[in-house]
This record gives sequence, C-alpha cells and structure tokens, in this order.
Amino acid sequence: MTAAERWAIGAWLVLVAACIAVISRTPFTTDISAFLPRSPTPEQRVLVEQLREGVVSRLILIGIEGAPQDALARASQRLAAALRNHASFVSVENGEDVGGAQDRDFLWRNRYLLSSAVTPERFSAGALRERLEEYLRLLGSPAGSLVRRLLPGDPSGELLHILERFEGQARPARRDGVWFSPDGQRALLVAQTRAAGYDIDAQERALAGIRGTFAQAGAGEAKLLVTGPGVFSVSTRAAIRDDVLRLFLIATVLIASLLLAIFRSPRVLALGLLPVASGAAAGIAAVSLGFGTVHGVTLGFGVTLLGEGVDYSIYLFTQATPGTAPQRVLDRIWPTLRLGALTSICGFSAMLFSGFSGLAQLGLFSMTGLIVAVAVTRWVLPSLLPPGFTAPAAAAFGPWALAAVRHAPALRYPLLIAVALAGVLLAAQRAPLWSDDLSSLSPVSRSEQLLDQQLRRDIGAPDVRYLVVIDAPQEEAALQASEAVGASLREASRAGLLDGYESPADTLPSRKAQLARQASVPAPAALRANLERALKDLPYRRQVFEPFLKDAAAVTEMPLIERGSLQGTRLALRLDTLLARRKDGWMAMLPLRGVTDAAAIARTIAAPPGARAVLLDLKGESDALYRTYRAEALAYSLLGAAAIVVLLSASLRSPRRVFDVLAPLAAAVLVTAGTLVLGGYQLSIFHLVGLLLVVAVGSNYSLFFDRQVPSGGDRERTIISLVFANVTTLIGFGLLAFSKVPVLHDIGLTVGIGAFLALVFSAILSRHAEDGTVHAHAAGR
Amino acid sequence: MRALGEVRSSKARFVERKHMAILSAPLESSGALIYIAPSRLEKHTLAPRAESLVLEGEELTIAGNERDQRRRLNLQDYPLARAFVESIRSTLAGDLPTLTRYYRVELEGGERRWRLTLKPSEPGMQEVVSEIRISGEYGSINAIETIETNGDRSVMTVTRDGP
Repeated sequence: MTAAERWAIGAWLVLVAACIAVISRTPFTTDISAFLPRSPTPEQRVLVEQLREGVVSRLILIGIEGAPQDALARASQRLAAALRNHASFVSVENGEDVGGAQDRDFLWRNRYLLSSAVTPERFSAGALRERLEEYLRLLGSPAGSLVRRLLPGDPSGELLHILERFEGQARPARRDGVWFSPDGQRALLVAQTRAAGYDIDAQERALAGIRGTFAQAGAGEAKLLVTGPGVFSVSTRAAIRDDVLRLFLIATVLIASLLLAIFRSPRVLALGLLPVASGAAAGIAAVSLGFGTVHGVTLGFGVTLLGEGVDYSIYLFTQATPGTAPQRVLDRIWPTLRLGALTSICGFSAMLFSGFSGLAQLGLFSMTGLIVAVAVTRWVLPSLLPPGFTAPAAAAFGPWALAAVRHAPALRYPLLIAVALAGVLLAAQRAPLWSDDLSSLSPVSRSEQLLDQQLRRDIGAPDVRYLVVIDAPQEEAALQASEAVGASLREASRAGLLDGYESPADTLPSRKAQLARQASVPAPAALRANLERALKDLPYRRQVFEPFLKDAAAVTEMPLIERGSLQGTRLALRLDTLLARRKDGWMAMLPLRGVTDAAAIARTIAAPPGARAVLLDLKGESDALYRTYRAEALAYSLLGAAAIVVLLSASLRSPRRVFDVLAPLAAAVLVTAGTLVLGGYQLSIFHLVGLLLVVAVGSNYSLFFDRQVPSGGDRERTIISLVFANVTTLIGFGLLAFSKVPVLHDIGLTVGIGAFLALVFSAILSRHAEDGTVHAHAAGR
Repeated sequence: MRALGEVRSSKARFVERKHMAILSAPLESSGALIYIAPSRLEKHTLAPRAESLVLEGEELTIAGNERDQRRRLNLQDYPLARAFVESIRSTLAGDLPTLTRYYRVELEGGERRWRLTLKPSEPGMQEVVSEIRISGEYGSINAIETIETNGDRSVMTVTRDGP
C-alpha cells in the first residue's frame, strides 16, 4: 500500500466518522409540508399555514359502522363522552346537544350587542310594529311555541336575527339523537385536536386515544373509521417509515445476493457495498447540515442510491482481468466512470434548485452520495481489492451477453417505430398530459382519500374553498374590517353572488360596533312609549313585554363582549379558528358559502384603511402553486438536460459522439413517457424529475457503449458490467415503484422503466456492434 | 286505527285557533290539509297569510309567500317538531307503533266516534306539551287539540272534503 493509498483510506475513515457523528444528531421528519413552497406569496402563506396548523388541519372525522342503528348511536354517545374528557381534544361533536345551553345563554344575554340589526331605528314605533306583526305570523306557524318563549324578552327579534346568521351551515342528519350518514349506515363524529396538524406525535396520541377509547367502549361488531389531515400525516409517517425500511432491506438483500452470485466472495461483496454505504452516510449528513432536518422520503430515496452507487464497484470488479492490478483497471475505465458520474450529478443538481425543499433534499442527498461513492471507488477500493481478482461469473455470462448485443441493432426499426408511436401518443394526448392538481403530490393513498371524501360527503361539510382573509395590526381593527367586509358580503349575497358567510364579528363584534349598538337603545321611557304605540290594535297583552323593557334598560350598563366572555361556550372555539393572533398582527377569516361569482365578490370587498382584505380561493391557489412548481421543475429539468449536453460536448468533443450518447437516452425518455401515459398516469412533477434521472442514470450506459475499447475481451467485460449495473439500478428504482408514497413510487417507476430502456436502446443504437472494429481512443481524452 | 290506515288519501279544510297567554285574543288561521298515504302530509294555510308546510318522509319544507322564502328541515334534527308531526301523521296513517314511540296513547269511544289522548313520553316534549287530543269518526279526524304546559292551547277543527 502506497502512502497515497494510506492517506486516502485515512481520509475516508475520518469522513465516515464525521458523517456518523452528524447523523446521530439529525432530527428526521415526515412533515408533508416539506413538499410545499419555500417562498410563497401572502395568499400561499395563508394556504400553507392553514394546511399546517389551521383548524382544518385539526379536525378528525370519525365514522362508526357495521352494527344496527341504535347500537351505533350508543357507541357514538359513549365515544363522544369519553373523548370530551380526553386531553388531546378541544371539542367532540356528534350531534348531541352538549354545551348548546351555554351557547344559547351567551347569545341571549348579549343579543343587543351581537345583533347587527341593532340601530336607533330598530326601536322606533314603526319598526317595532313591523316586528310584532311578523311575530304574530310566526306564533301561528309550527315554530309558535319556540317563538312564544322568546317574544316577551325580545320583541325586536334580535335573537332570531342572530340565529339566522348561524343558519345555512350544513349539518348532518340526526338519528337517535346523533349524527348519521344520509343512508343511516354510519354514525358520525367530528373531533378537533388541541395540537396542530403538523404535530404528528400529538396527532398520533390523539388517534391512539380514539382507537383505545373505542375498543374500551365495547361496541361489539361495530367498526371504527377515522380520517382527516392528522390521520393522514400519521399514516404517511408510518408508510414512509415502513416503506423505507422494507424497501431498503429488500434492495440490500437482492443486490447483495446478486453481487455474491457474480463475485462469489463475501469480502468482495462487502467491498462492493462500501462506496454506496459511504455515499449514503455522506448524503444524509450533507442534507442534515444543509437543511437542519432529514425528510423520511429522502431516506427512501437512498434505496435508489444503493442501486446507482453500487454500479461503480460493479464496473471496477467486472472489468478486472487476471494479471492486471485493480489500479490499472480503474485507470482505464476512470474517464468514462467520471463522465458518467458527472452527468448523473448534473441531473440530480436540477432538483437542488427546486422550490420543494423535499425535492431539494433528494437532490443534495443524491449528488453528495454519488460524489462520495465514486470517490471511494476511485481512491479507496482498488487498494482493498485482493490482488489478481477477477469476476468468475462474468466469464460464463459473457458470450451470451455479447451475442445479445451483437443482434440488438436488428431492432433499430422497431425502436424507431416505438419512438414514433410514443411521440404521436404524447402529441395526440387529449386528456391533459400533466396533472394540474396539488393532491397528485399528496402522500395519502387512494383508499384513504376515498374514505376521506366519503365521510366528508356524509357529514355534509364541503371543503371550504373561498375565504376572505383580513390582516390588521390590532384585534379591534381586524374585527372592524370583518364588519365592513361583512356588510359588502351581505350586499353581494342579496345580489345572488353567494349564499352566506361566517365572520368572527358574529360572536365578537368590534368595540366600536358594540358601543354604537349600546347607544342605539332608547332611554327606558322613550322605549316604553314606542312600544305602546307599536302595540296599538295588536292582540298582545301589554304586560307581556316587561322583560324586554327591563333588559333593554340594562344594555347601556352591560360590560362589552371580550374574547374571555365566550369562555366555556362552543362559540369560543369557532372564534379561535376565525380570528388569530400572528407574528405581525391579527388575522380574521370569513369562510364563504355557495359562491357563484368569486370575481365579482373580490371586486366588492374592501377593508377600511390600515387593514387588508383578500379573497382567497384555496383550490385555485393550490392549483396555481402547483403549476408554478411544475413550470419551475420543467425549467430546472431542461437546464439539467442542457448541462448534461454541455458536459458531454466538452468531454467527448465530437458532435457525432454526443449524438450517439444522447440518442438512446432521448428515445428512452420518449418511450418511458409514452408508456406512463399509456398506463393511465397523468404526469406529475415527480414523473418529470424521474425522466430527468433517466437521462442522468442512462448516460452511464450509453457512455460505456460509446467507449472505444482495446480488445474484444474488454468489450465483453464492459457489456457484462453494464448488464449487472443495470440490474442493480432496476432493483433500486424498481422497488421504489412499490412504495405507497407517491414521490417514491412515481420516480421509481419512471426511472425503473427508463433505465432499462436506456440500456436496451444503447445496445440497439450502438455503432460498434455492427462492424466489431476496435478504436483506440478512450472517452474523455 | 285500522279504519284510518285504510285511507289512501284525503283532503280537508281546517280552522285553527290558538289561545295564548301573551295574546288577548285567539289567533285564527285556516286553510287546507292534504294527506297521501303513507307519509306525505301538506298543510296549506291560506288566511291570514299564505304559508305551506309539506312533510314528505323525514323532510319538512316550509314555504312562505314572501321573498320566495323556502326552508327545508330534516325532522331527525328537530325531535320536538317530529313528535308534533307524528301525532297527526301517524294517526292519519293508523300507525300505532310510531305513535307509541313518542306518546302514551289512550283510546276512548268506538269506531263511530273515537277520541285519542296522547301524552308525551320524551322529557323534551313533556316540557312543552302536556297532551294532544285527537277526535274523529270512522276513518277521519274531526279535531286536534294541543294543550301546552303553560296553559296555551290550540284547537284545529277539520272538515273533510268528500270521500
């Protein structure tokens, strides 16, 4: 061993130790928002915030099915009662009237401060008369007995006015006193967790609470269904964890068996895995240093590195010939190996600039991993290899592989036809080629998404799509702006632009509005006189309205409603979700219902000076976000591809050879894309990245095919090494195709198909097989 | 009960008088009732103001004349309204099992002239209604009298239009 070799091994050991030290202190996450934007617009910031911690992220939808209706209702009541005492939940609703009394009491006591109808004219004789006549009609209707109880304290109808604002919020049907799906097959509950949706540990505890409680409740044969963002993040984390571990183990076993079969030596097997293991360690450490955390998906991607990085040792081992020092073999193939690694790195670097921090992690991980793997192959491996090493299986396999390659060019015309067909298929595609939906990136499995949609439909809670978001420096300003926007929304609602809206000012009016309402109530004597005039000729008994006169007289002395006044009501919870303090002020949200013309609404809403109001289209915004990403990913992919072309041109210095190297890759990309479309896939960003990786990975094959070798024996060994390298790559990416996590599945499937095609197409389009001539120059020289 | 159950559909005029403590005079309304077996019941009030209630299965639609007001309620959500509604509909349908789910039922008189007294069995209903008396002859209803716990009372007299 030379001094240089000893230095190389020493440096490698230090690197590995450092990586292990970094990794041991690395936090691992599975937060799906890593696949959300880094530099969003204000609207997108609201969107991301909502997805991460908004009330929507805290809701868990629960269904109980598979038993007779009364058993389901009892199970629902027992589950709800137990969960209401559980620390993980702030509220559990199942249709039972729990806490409704406090809500009604709060609304009744504060009716004159809460009702937006309260103005000085409201208590004039004329207006009171109008209301009293309306009441008379209601008394004759089926609502009579309810109205009769309200009337003595509230002839101006403030409570009814307030309740009208709360109406129209869809609620599921009730049977046996609890919520049921419309078909009566499933009891429904909605639980809101204390912790935000992104706090997966807390969400997992909440879910365990639900499952444990349900099991204890002894609901017989009834089955529990749960869904919601928190459920998704918990199951995604579990899926990523399972997938990563499982795929990693399978890949390791498969690749190790292959290496063992080829090289028949445990020592060589261990050596073969050395570059990959070092690369993976360095990759994780680099991501940890660069991003602070490592995403579970990044680890999953390590499986592909295994398939890709092990190629380098395969090239070295398979091409070793008896009587040649490993170092000499390496010197011979190094220029091609280096160029191949560089093109791969070019490809992965495009991911580094992605707006998805998740994809950027994958890029950094793969680049670092490949650099370290190729460096270890170059400088560490040769000195550890047994002297005179040669691959025994390679010799037996050689003639067969060579014959296949020799006959491959006969398939040129079929290949051309396949490429043409793929081109036509892609060009003639009627359905959009690219998926336009952010949910195509969602790591949630199809069956879970279906269950979620089902329960949401049952509960009758259509996803909120439109929100007016108000930013203001103080709470009071945010509430005043909510009232101003609310007034224009009522106007728009009368014009038929929407059905209704919710506002934080419904339960917590601004101080300004409350003071104005207090001032609107006339002095007791004046009010009594107005009422007397209003009652003239109506069949009400006079003394009935004493409670009203007493309550109205007390309004001016009443303390104003503050946030704390809502304590203990369910309304407090609702308010918390609609009005929140943020780093730089306050944010109010007004969810809209039944929007028919969003553009017209956006024109009418205007916040008073000092506040800002925006109509947010959650679906439109997330779709726009996705399109931005896709455009960005496309741009970076094209840049990556361009970088590969530049690299190849600079190294090969022959347009003809560049063409020879790229033609099979371009064909592979086209046919792969065609195959995916034919398989019914709408292409996502992940497929796009996969196609780029086909170029990056496949370039290794076409480069080695293009490489001029001194002898037929070398050519045979080259081809064998390519076949083995391809098989390991297929194992790595192909296994990912079995992952349930879309990012892994999509990239794995694309690269698996593409890498295989790249090798086959390289063989078909290779010029050497035709004449069998041997050229005397090596790549890159 | 059996005689009632055999009626497939019927149409009647009604006059309803509500005597309430808060009112110095009874509130009177009148209109038409339509029943189609087994579960559709329509109450069209014509005076003093037009309003219609249409009950079909579990769904109650209330339509006023003004501003195209139309509201749809699911009875499952309003146990009180449901108990009320069933007192009439189940009687019309001759559906004793449903009636006994909500009320303790007493029957007096014979087939020619009968009187049902319904006493609510659910606590929520007991708070509001003390009893409902339905009288009739053969397969038709003559009067429905509702007595509320606070003493308020409503009497609906029904006159059948033809067979």
